[in-house]
Amino acid sequence: MTHSRRKWLLISVALAAAAALAAPLAHAQQKPIKIGFSMALTGGLAGGGKGALISMEIWRDDVNKKGGLLGRPVALVYYDDATQPANVPGIYTKLLEVDKVDLVVSGYGTNLIAPAMPIIMRKKLVFPALFGLGANEEFKYDRYFQIMPAGPAPKLDWSKGFFELAMEQNPKPKSVAIVAADAEFALNAAEGARANAKKLKLDIVYDKTYPPATTDFTPIVRAIQATSPDIVYVGSYPPDSVGMVKAASEVGLKTKMFGGGMVGLQFAAIQKNLGPLLNGIVNYDFWVPEPTLNFPGVNEFLAKYRVAAKDKGVDPFGHYLPPYSYAYLEVLGQAVEATKSLDHSKLAAYMHKTTFDTVVGKVKFGKNGEWARTRTLQVQFRDVQPDNLEQFAGPGKRIVLYPKEWKSGNIVFPYKQ
Amino acid sequence: MKSAAFWGALAAIFAAGLALTGAVANEYYYNALYLILQAALMAIAWNILGGFTGYVNFGSAGFFAIGAYTTVALNKALGLPLPLLILAGGAVGGLVGLGLGYLTLRLKGVYFAIATLAMAIVIETLVINWSYVGGAKGTYILTPEKHLWFDSYIQMLFVVMLLLTLAAVAISRMLSSSRIGRGLAAIRDDEVAAECAGVPTLRLKLVSTTVMGAMMGVAGAPFPFFVTFVDPSSAFNLFIAVNAIAMPMIGGTAHWLGPVIGALLVGTTQEIVKVTVSSEMNVLIVGVMLVVFITLAPQGIVGLARKHLRRRKP
Repeated sequence: MTHSRRKWLLISVALAAAAALAAPLAHAQQKPIKIGFSMALTGGLAGGGKGALISMEIWRDDVNKKGGLLGRPVALVYYDDATQPANVPGIYTKLLEVDKVDLVVSGYGTNLIAPAMPIIMRKKLVFPALFGLGANEEFKYDRYFQIMPAGPAPKLDWSKGFFELAMEQNPKPKSVAIVAADAEFALNAAEGARANAKKLKLDIVYDKTYPPATTDFTPIVRAIQATSPDIVYVGSYPPDSVGMVKAASEVGLKTKMFGGGMVGLQFAAIQKNLGPLLNGIVNYDFWVPEPTLNFPGVNEFLAKYRVAAKDKGVDPFGHYLPPYSYAYLEVLGQAVEATKSLDHSKLAAYMHKTTFDTVVGKVKFGKNGEWARTRTLQVQFRDVQPDNLEQFAGPGKRIVLYPKEWKSGNIVFPYKQ
Repeated sequence: MKSAAFWGALAAIFAAGLALTGAVANEYYYNALYLILQAALMAIAWNILGGFTGYVNFGSAGFFAIGAYTTVALNKALGLPLPLLILAGGAVGGLVGLGLGYLTLRLKGVYFAIATLAMAIVIETLVINWSYVGGAKGTYILTPEKHLWFDSYIQMLFVVMLLLTLAAVAISRMLSSSRIGRGLAAIRDDEVAAECAGVPTLRLKLVSTTVMGAMMGVAGAPFPFFVTFVDPSSAFNLFIAVNAIAMPMIGGTAHWLGPVIGALLVGTTQEIVKVTVSSEMNVLIVGVMLVVFITLAPQGIVGLARKHLRRRKP
């Protein structure tokens, strides 16, 4: 090697090293892109909210490791809304007016999404939302994008699969009992179930609600049993779901299909608590570790989540909300990168026309900001053993029955205790 | 405080509030101030029955929710403008207060307190089962497009709440320094003795519950437009009732200024803590402050100030 060639080589190596060193330095010096949101870190929805925050921080770290968005690091700015809707307007005005965030996403749950909507709408911001059930029905905001895969008609689509599955069985069910907690989500789920049952000409033999503070579900299950329904649709919150499953077992509920809209049966702690009592129940879910739902990146994300969630008092597996709280930021991040902009009109236009690849699979939004097609799963608990948490980490315990595209097994019908 | 100075101070505060809307565009401050003023109005209302008359009301959230749900119902049925909705909220709250007075003022002490709590639960159950106003599912209230000459709706809501709070301060002061106020104080000190001395105790207690109910109804009436989604758990929130009790206790229940000072101190601390530490810390702050004041300064901040002033006098 001649002297001059060696000199050039040295210079190029030095330049490359300088560039490599300067890139992260420049990245660090750039003003971060701030994403603001409120989150239920205390109060009724804190269990889910804390898990969502862990996932969002994983996304932030993943993105920043890859160089951030538009060459700028990403920072999350958030406040605890304590699951109180009255806290939300103040939090979002603080985020926008004082913290000057560039982008906003919603907190967790319908009641905490709705109070932010007027502020977001006035500023014409893109608003990715996390698990709101029909929260945009009144507002009809065209920059609202909801990550929960409920579908274009969320209330109807929630139970559509449950009823379609029931009607495919032989003999066809003729009657249904609908029971729901007297609270926002459960009533909406029951309303959809009622509409689906009527459409399918099922005889509704029991249709009642119970106060959210109910602890003894035995009388309710006995009353349902007295009407001898072919299927039982339940819209319930975690504590009542546990009570209802236990009461069904105690009373020896005789029906052909049981479940539907029970929140809580997706959480590992409740699954472990109920154990074999869950066997045969058909219930909604959004993601389960079945081979048909093995989307690119989801297992890597869940592995990180399991480490981050350890000893934090949140769901140890994070199958329900965490992948979606990662995904709604993925959607936003991909839109920013693709449009190379923080202009909300450009972002909204892009988000409407694009199919996004995320850890929860392909996401395409419809006109109303809900998923263009429902992917509310109906899963059936199978072969659940007592006192074994780890069994729920892998496949085989929650078999996907619906939609057909994601099916991982056939239904066991009728339901047996 | 002399009358002229008092009215002058109220006018100056209102003018300052109006000037603020012209000078500061940042909506966050109006949101925070709205919540502080709402808490102040609730505290002033609670103090009329709890402080002046000595009857502890645990059902404040019920009266607040009556105002909120009156707005929801009338807005849906008739689409009335905000001032009329506030008047309606006050009227319904006042009527329920009067009813509560008739039904429960034979009760005293802890029994009265339990009855007010029960009343709030009864009203909540009624609302949960009233599907027209959203029932247990809750309901959306879209913020109206018009907001007078203000830059935003929240600015207007802030000014409205400021006006209502100042009106409540004036009413509270007038009540406490009037014949009615002296009658209420007599009831608080010894109801039997007051009755024997010719104080019309039942009538005064009814005035007290009605004014309290009306003020709380007024405080709740603009709430649906502030939060845009009302459900029973947020309108009947226990924290509203806890704040309404804690703020006068901390400020001092015997004087009309007590709940105002308490609300400004606790409300401001809560709003700061909400965005610096955690929203849940608010509950702890109120709890700790309440315990500290009840044990160390049962007369509240006003009581401490009076003691200090007395000591300084030769």
